[in-house]
Amino acid sequence: MVDPSQAVDGREPRRGGTVLEVGPLPGRPGIRARGEISEVTRSPWEAALAGLARQHADVSYVELSEVGFVDVAGVAALAVTALGLPGGRMVVEHPPPQVPRVLGLFWPGLRRLEMAPR
Amino acid sequence: MNTVATHETFEHPALLYRGEREYVDRTVSFVQEGLDLGEPVAVAVPGPNLELIRTALGADAEGVLLLDMARVGRNPGRIIPGVLRSFADAHPQGRTRIIGEPMWAGRSALEYPACAQHEALINAAFEGRAVTILCPYDEANLDEAVLADMRLAHPTIVSRDGRRVSDVYDWRSVVARHNEPLPAAADAAVFSFDAANLFLARAFTVEQAGRLGLAGQRLQDAELAVAELTTNSVLHGGGHGTLAVWAEAGQLVCEVRDTGRLTDPLAGRRPPARGQIGGRGLMLVHYVADLVRLHTGDEGTTVRFYLAC
Repeated sequence: MVDPSQAVDGREPRRGGTVLEVGPLPGRPGIRARGEISEVTRSPWEAALAGLARQHADVSYVELSEVGFVDVAGVAALAVTALGLPGGRMVVEHPPPQVPRVLGLFWPGLRRLEMAPR
Repeated sequence: MNTVATHETFEHPALLYRGEREYVDRTVSFVQEGLDLGEPVAVAVPGPNLELIRTALGADAEGVLLLDMARVGRNPGRIIPGVLRSFADAHPQGRTRIIGEPMWAGRSALEYPACAQHEALINAAFEGRAVTILCPYDEANLDEAVLADMRLAHPTIVSRDGRRVSDVYDWRSVVARHNEPLPAAADAAVFSFDAANLFLARAFTVEQAGRLGLAGQRLQDAELAVAELTTNSVLHGGGHGTLAVWAEAGQLVCEVRDTGRLTDPLAGRRPPARGQIGGRGLMLVHYVADLVRLHTGDEGTTVRFYLAC
């Protein structure tokens, strides 16, 4: 499990040319990710989101400016995490285009998940 | 008569009509009957027909969800989750009433098998639900083969002669007959993928689809759809497969072949629970593509999607 409060960029072993690094966001509650979110990197992504949910207070940030691709299940994990929060909201910063596209198709009007575009 | 069972029975009549007047009379009376009963009503028919119904309904149109089926149902594979289930699920109390016209004279031969399968699969998707879906068929302008499938896919048929039970009703036979093999395209660019190089399958798609004229969100959609199909092949379809990309009649075509067999006829059409993480891959493909054709059998599964360039 990647715990965003403790991990210094928890790095998954490189597999199939695909890598995801997830770690805490300096100075703000939340996580930042780098790489791609797909089947190969599913486990650290969902673990990081679970850690974020555990520590969520009012606003949590998910910084994705260095993520090149997120698949449908990766976006679903974001949406499901936001749906499960007891209150407040999640702000997804600088996501790749798949994130707003998939949210618009499957979770339109999900107010708890805000986008700060690239 | 058991009134509870009747209430919960799914009704899927075909409406066989000739001419504008009969079309409007029948559809509008179906809508108004629903409004009188307090049922939520949606109408999803091709644009020109939608305007006829809207005009005839007058002020009553405000209480009805009106959708252009040529747009929302351009790809027949997204009609069940994106139009019918979407409306019915939003109104879980009591009976919901929908007019769905997915088949019109301008549908191409390429689209038709997907249309026919969609009509048949409605029966499986709504079994046991208190929903009525009326499907108009233009008797004067549709081929006899289409009308023959209509009789197989609908348990009841309404026409100027009244309402009758279809004595040939057998929706599974329609799904099976239109499960047509999809021969490989001769001039496609081909890429073999497995778990180790899924990211290269995406890059290959972007490169080839861009070269063939796809751009912007459609190019992003192609990449995402290929990611979902190739991931499905790796997880559920034998672990590896072949991706092919080509252009055909102004459309970009992406095809994924693997050695698995798809056993659930409603795969990609059954909306998962809002809080479920998996199970949206094939549905995403249906949502973004203009058409999806699928063949599955003992020898494997082929999914082909089309995007206008």
